[in-house]
Amino acid sequence: MTADATIDTTPAAGSKRERTRAQGIRRFKWAVLTPFLALMLFILMPALLLQGYFSFFAFSIFDAGENTGFSSYFEASEWVGLDLWSDALSDAKFGLAIIRSLLFATGVTVGCFIIGFALALLMYRPFRGQGIYYIFFILPMLTVPIVIAYTGEMILYQNGPLNDILSIITQTRVEAQFLYKQEVALTSIAFLEIWNWTPFSFIIMMAGLASLPKEPQEAAQILGANKWRIFWEVQVPLLRPVILLALILRFLESMAEFPKTWGLLQGGPGSATETVPVYIFINAWQFFDISYGAVLSYLILFMMAGIVLSAIWLLRREKKSLDAMYESKPQEG
Amino acid sequence: MSMTKSQRRHTFSAFRYLVLTVWLTIVAFPMFWMVSTSFKPDREWFAWPPVYISENATLQNYLVVWADVSEYAVDETGNLETVAQSLQRPWTALGNSALISVISTTLTVLFGSVLAYGVSRYGILSEGRMFQLLMLRMVPPIVLIAPISIWYSALGLLDSITGLVMLYFLTTLPYAVWMSKSFIDEVPREMEQAAEILGASRMRTIWEVVLPLVRSGLVATFLFILILTWSEYLLALLLSKTAVVTLPVELSKYQGSTEGRIYGRQAALSVGITLPLIVVGLIIRKHLARGFSFGMVRR
Repeated sequence: MTADATIDTTPAAGSKRERTRAQGIRRFKWAVLTPFLALMLFILMPALLLQGYFSFFAFSIFDAGENTGFSSYFEASEWVGLDLWSDALSDAKFGLAIIRSLLFATGVTVGCFIIGFALALLMYRPFRGQGIYYIFFILPMLTVPIVIAYTGEMILYQNGPLNDILSIITQTRVEAQFLYKQEVALTSIAFLEIWNWTPFSFIIMMAGLASLPKEPQEAAQILGANKWRIFWEVQVPLLRPVILLALILRFLESMAEFPKTWGLLQGGPGSATETVPVYIFINAWQFFDISYGAVLSYLILFMMAGIVLSAIWLLRREKKSLDAMYESKPQEG
Repeated sequence: MSMTKSQRRHTFSAFRYLVLTVWLTIVAFPMFWMVSTSFKPDREWFAWPPVYISENATLQNYLVVWADVSEYAVDETGNLETVAQSLQRPWTALGNSALISVISTTLTVLFGSVLAYGVSRYGILSEGRMFQLLMLRMVPPIVLIAPISIWYSALGLLDSITGLVMLYFLTTLPYAVWMSKSFIDEVPREMEQAAEILGASRMRTIWEVVLPLVRSGLVATFLFILILTWSEYLLALLLSKTAVVTLPVELSKYQGSTEGRIYGRQAALSVGITLPLIVVGLIIRKHLARGFSFGMVRR
């Protein structure tokens, strides 16, 4: 990390006082950043390098045997070049895991967003009972994911309350399997995830709606636009940065979802819930195939880096236009 | 279809309460089920039709899980036999969870907020760097966990509080910086300038002018990050063996236990894990919104 151009805020007057000020700021900057950079350098960098090493040198748990010291990892691995990489690229299960994760994340993101936005639209103007609803609606986010997983299992259990409620409604004994059936397992987990994280979208959209300036809406009303048009042509465009933020953060976090998928189904039944995190976990920890896990991890790292970079590009663009908008009317903001 | 304005308003109001109450039920039911199951005696855990509110409510689940009380039954030969007891040590896990999350959250928010102050006032990190920081949070941790555990084994950091604290520091720092920056940005610079003109030193300005104004925001940031570290599962599962087992990992041992499904016990433990978070969350509910919006919402 090199010194940024932005810290040179005092280019013109080279007075002594301003120079010491710039120096002070620079000292402050490095003092604050040192612990963070030290951790990056001594924890994350070595891990990335090890990951790189093991993606070209195949580690075998059988060669390592009983010896589990640090050096044994190197003694038990041998050069295989790009073999593992070509294995991974032609691994159909890995491809399926990626598709599964993308579908899961998309479904969860859309689900959380639609429910969260709808609730926020119904709630952002004050009404009686608003506070109580708000408290209840943020509760799921405050619940530990692994607790949600196990409580979810109790509810989805064959003799559980969900089947009971369905039985009462349909007047027949419903014995649906929600978890241990290949066709529905991942969808059930997705519903648990949506339950868990709708509050996140809800809170962001509430804040966004509450912060909308009133004038454009009033102007549109005077011009005779109906509610529907005001929503689509005034509110939604103004909310775009917030909407993007809600979608992007939720998508990335659900790509990494692990506690519910693993805690409940460990990739099963069959391989119906083998998402990317679960598939990497199974390879690296259950089969202890560190090398193959490393290659898979690298491929996912590249893929995620691509997604994250484009997400950040989008977010920055929105933030810039928002900044520009607020700077153009200096009395507010 | 001609309705008067007040009729329309009534219809909307009724519709709103209907939809909100449906979602309220969906949100509240699992919470209710967890609490209700934690008071059920074992024969009601799997009963059909399911028992909603037990008429034989018991504290047994809590006693077995949290107070390490063993249950006895008389076997065929007439001897007393232990049939169930606490699987692990939840209080140790509770202690670990509290220690790890409080230490790492304190460090994260301390460094994060000072960094955020530097960014907000002196631009010590460019906007590009700020977004790069956010990347740390956006990459799934699973992709680095295997090499980190190998590297930790070399450093002797496996199964240690330090090891987990360092990783939690790294993974939550982006949120700490972004959230506290959104609070610091709202403090008008004029106040600091005024203090400086009055001759206050920079430290004094920060301590007596800025800090009181952002205190509630920093508390919200602290508690939000506390929630994240308290519920973290993957890193805690893979980097701990025996010494630093945290509560979520402890709970997952019940699921995999040889005694089969023990819903009542799981529920009793779950209530204990969830309660502190709900208390914390309700305290910070007013500040969550601003902190989450990453500068995308202006007031």
